[in-house]
Amino acid sequence: MARYRLFSLLHGVFLFIVALIIIFPFYWMVASSLKSESEIFQIPPVWLFRPDFHAYHEVIFEDGILRSLFNSLIVTAGAVVLGVTVGAPAAYGIARYRFRGRSQIQFWYVTNWMLIPVVVLIPFYLAAADLRMIDNPITLILIYQTFVIPLVVWLLVDQFKAVPIALEEAALLDGMSRFGIFLRITLPLTVPGVTVAAILAGIFAWNDLLYAFILTPGTDARTAPTVMMSYLGGYIIPWSKVMASAVMITGPVVIGGIAIHKYIARGLTLGAVK
Amino acid sequence: MRLPMLSLSVDQATVEGNVMKPSVKSILLGSACAAAVLGFAPSARAWTLQQAAAPFKGETVTVVGLDRPSYKAAQKLTPEFEKETGIHVKWVIYPYGNTLKAETLNFVSHSGQFDAILSDVVWPVDFAKANWVTPVKDFMDDKAILDPNIDLKDFFKVWRQGFTIKGQLVGLPFDSYSGLLYYNKKILKDHGFSGPPKTWNELLTKYAPKLYDPSKHLYPYVLQSARGETQTADGFTRFLWPWGGRYFNAAQKKITLDSPDAIKGEEFRQKLTKYMPPGFLADNHPQVVQLLAQGQVAMITEWSAFYPTLAASRIGPDLGVTVEPKGPKGRFAAFGGFAYMVSAQVPKKMQDATWLFIQWLTSKSMAKPLIENGAVVARISADTNPALQAKFPYLKPMVETWEHGSVSDWRPQIACYPYFSEIVSDFGSKVEAGDYTVPVGMKKLSAKLQSYMNSTDCWSSVNIPGK
Amino acid sequence: MTEPGVPEVKEPLLRRMEPWFFVGPSLILLLSVGLFPTAFVLYFSFHNWIMGMGPAVFDGFSNYADALSSSGFINAILRTFLFLILTLPVELFLGISIALALDQTRNAWMRRLVQILLVVPIATTPSVVGMLVQLMFNSQLGVVNYGLHRIGISPIDWLGNARGAMGMVIITQIWEWTPFVALVLSASLATVPQDIEEAITLETEGFWARFRYIKLPYLRPGIAASLVFQTIFTIKTFDMIYSIEKGGPGNATEMIALKIERIAFSGFNVGLASAESVLTLIVTIVLAQSVVAFLYKDEV
Repeated sequence: MARYRLFSLLHGVFLFIVALIIIFPFYWMVASSLKSESEIFQIPPVWLFRPDFHAYHEVIFEDGILRSLFNSLIVTAGAVVLGVTVGAPAAYGIARYRFRGRSQIQFWYVTNWMLIPVVVLIPFYLAAADLRMIDNPITLILIYQTFVIPLVVWLLVDQFKAVPIALEEAALLDGMSRFGIFLRITLPLTVPGVTVAAILAGIFAWNDLLYAFILTPGTDARTAPTVMMSYLGGYIIPWSKVMASAVMITGPVVIGGIAIHKYIARGLTLGAVK
Repeated sequence: MRLPMLSLSVDQATVEGNVMKPSVKSILLGSACAAAVLGFAPSARAWTLQQAAAPFKGETVTVVGLDRPSYKAAQKLTPEFEKETGIHVKWVIYPYGNTLKAETLNFVSHSGQFDAILSDVVWPVDFAKANWVTPVKDFMDDKAILDPNIDLKDFFKVWRQGFTIKGQLVGLPFDSYSGLLYYNKKILKDHGFSGPPKTWNELLTKYAPKLYDPSKHLYPYVLQSARGETQTADGFTRFLWPWGGRYFNAAQKKITLDSPDAIKGEEFRQKLTKYMPPGFLADNHPQVVQLLAQGQVAMITEWSAFYPTLAASRIGPDLGVTVEPKGPKGRFAAFGGFAYMVSAQVPKKMQDATWLFIQWLTSKSMAKPLIENGAVVARISADTNPALQAKFPYLKPMVETWEHGSVSDWRPQIACYPYFSEIVSDFGSKVEAGDYTVPVGMKKLSAKLQSYMNSTDCWSSVNIPGK
Repeated sequence: MTEPGVPEVKEPLLRRMEPWFFVGPSLILLLSVGLFPTAFVLYFSFHNWIMGMGPAVFDGFSNYADALSSSGFINAILRTFLFLILTLPVELFLGISIALALDQTRNAWMRRLVQILLVVPIATTPSVVGMLVQLMFNSQLGVVNYGLHRIGISPIDWLGNARGAMGMVIITQIWEWTPFVALVLSASLATVPQDIEEAITLETEGFWARFRYIKLPYLRPGIAASLVFQTIFTIKTFDMIYSIEKGGPGNATEMIALKIERIAFSGFNVGLASAESVLTLIVTIVLAQSVVAFLYKDEV
């Protein structure tokens, strides 16, 4: 019994340390956004200080971060909606049918995802420039499909496979169309999985810097990470502003992730069900 | 036009009878008036920006800028231009590292995104060779949009040359820097020095040992060595020229970085690194400026454009600024800056409107207000103005450097400069980090550059200033 | 697709077309968005093209030869491998430990809290993490060195020293991705049927035995999936390292994605960058396949 208690305690301590390591950088980020420039760099570090919101004030009212957050939202929502709408049926098709070309298609999807973004960027930029689609959120929504669709398909194929085939066959006998089955039987049973796929894809889209930086550089269409990176171009790095924008960029995603953490824990089986 | 004289002469004639016959006099007067109307009227009407801009009213000119004081000043004063011309100006600001990327992609894809192109002093060969920008002459030939006061000779010679490719001027200088030595007057005084060092040798042998005290977080000097253009320009090239080292001999198509002089220069740099604070290999402009401002370092050699930033920082009245130290073979301070050019890929109308803007921005009359708002320009009249010099102490050493201590091709003016610079930065970093000894590193660097220049036939694009 | 030219009744044909109705839209979308760039990259890998220095010229395999013989490319690949080898096992080990610890914890409150926290690093914008790292690992003024100083370790030059920078980047990667592995494995552990677990607990007290015979088989798919995922992700790592120091000091932390970006956007050498990406893609595919093959070697 004592041994059991000891183990429990060790587990607790271990997890506590893990929690601390995860949280600390966030604390540092938020704290730095509220300090003055010299306080940020003070050694020994300043643990107690008077919070100063000037960085947030400047970032919001002078640098247009709200507009860029809105752009990020549009692009992310657009990319996710498009990717899931198109990818979920695809995953279903791959899960339920055996047809020629099936493995080639899967390979093509994963290859898309493995391509180094930097190089894909050049042809994409040239094509977009030709079509006068630079600084257009639709351009980003489209190029994000190169990782959204593979991710969605990868995560959902196993989710759909896990739905007992008996349920679907029963519905078939009742005269339902295949698509109807997909929509009304399979999907509702895999809501956690679909949610996880959507959330993960959304996280990657929201956080993207490279594509957004190059394809939507103008002040009107740019996304939030671009604004943060623009602070690095000057002569001095305004650290409190950098951290303030970092908090505003990461905040929504983290809060969103926390809100559906239960789904993530349940939905990330990633093929655990064989 | 009425000729009132006619009636007078007729009266006089009838009264006195010994004046010229009215008809001849009136003919002469008439001809004089006619001549005045036909021949001299244009000079009576001066060129104004407003008139010149009339055909372009309502257009929007897109201008590339950086997040630096000069562009902030320009943006602040832009409404004056907009009000006078009715042309709307849209500023697009990029971090320096992305500017060439964005502009090159813009040109290669013919997207016409930018009208006014910002060019670093090492990019014009690139832009000109590919015919991406329109030469200045094309605009100077058009009297309707040429400001007669443009006075190109009022730009420092070294700047005009810097943007003259194969004999053609392609840009108007703006945001121009020279390298300067910034120092902390108080720290130097406290350690027994009455003034800053005049030569690099002095800095190393006399100043450095006395100012080196890691336990008190005090270092004599720090060199910004971050990878990329900073390493190439600030780090590597700075220690090349003053010792007699040169990048290449263009006539012989040979890289000369493995010459004894070049090696001597870089070896000097290695000796200096022993006195630098840890982490200098990762330091870029913001970091070294911060180190001087916080009093951890006594001297830095940085761009003149940093003066306002430093003056406003913690160092305050202790800030001293002077020309860069001399090397054994002369003073060759860091040379860097930009110019505005007109994109050749936009319609002629836009090009002309753009020309009006950059002409205005870089004009003699705008120089003073720009400087007062924190910008750095290359206009002789403004930079040598005694009132301005008294207000901005960096102007005097900067002018002195441009006139006697700078060369336009301090960094090679070649079409393949971007990748050339990457190679130099790579090896420069490795040598500075001690991965190679200086002779070995310089030899490897020379070999790599030689093969790159040969394989891309970059030699044919070498621009020699003044030729 | 269905065999061409074979006369068929309409019904079966429609049925055979069914999967394509499901897969079609995504395929069309990806083909239009992905095919062009991929084809472009392949095409230009065989050409000599430096933007601004003239038009593209066909050059056969010379870009590939250049890449494979250049120490720059090879070193970047090796560096990326080193990065992989040093991060993956640690992430796996820590991930399993956290998942097991979570599984064993009876305290629901603690469990909930940790699960929530595990989501956080995954959600964080990698470029934000990079900026934060720049701040925290500053050798004179950063909080990490301060902490080390307090426990008696002298300051490490994280940003300016090649080894230090590599270490810093490895630590950051582990911090960022271990939670992902932990979550995946935690979900896998949750699929272990309750009754089997109870039965075996009654039979043997041995933790190790329990782990090996019960939990491991259920963990294996999760381990495989997260390894594959992590391999691909690590090879593509860009944002985080770029925003710390762009691959510096020198090229100490220049992974393959960063090297290619430099060739493409600083050197404007599209041909060489394309060839290097194709090579990297091949390497990635081979690696991913090997991981799967290795983990499922005793299965058909």
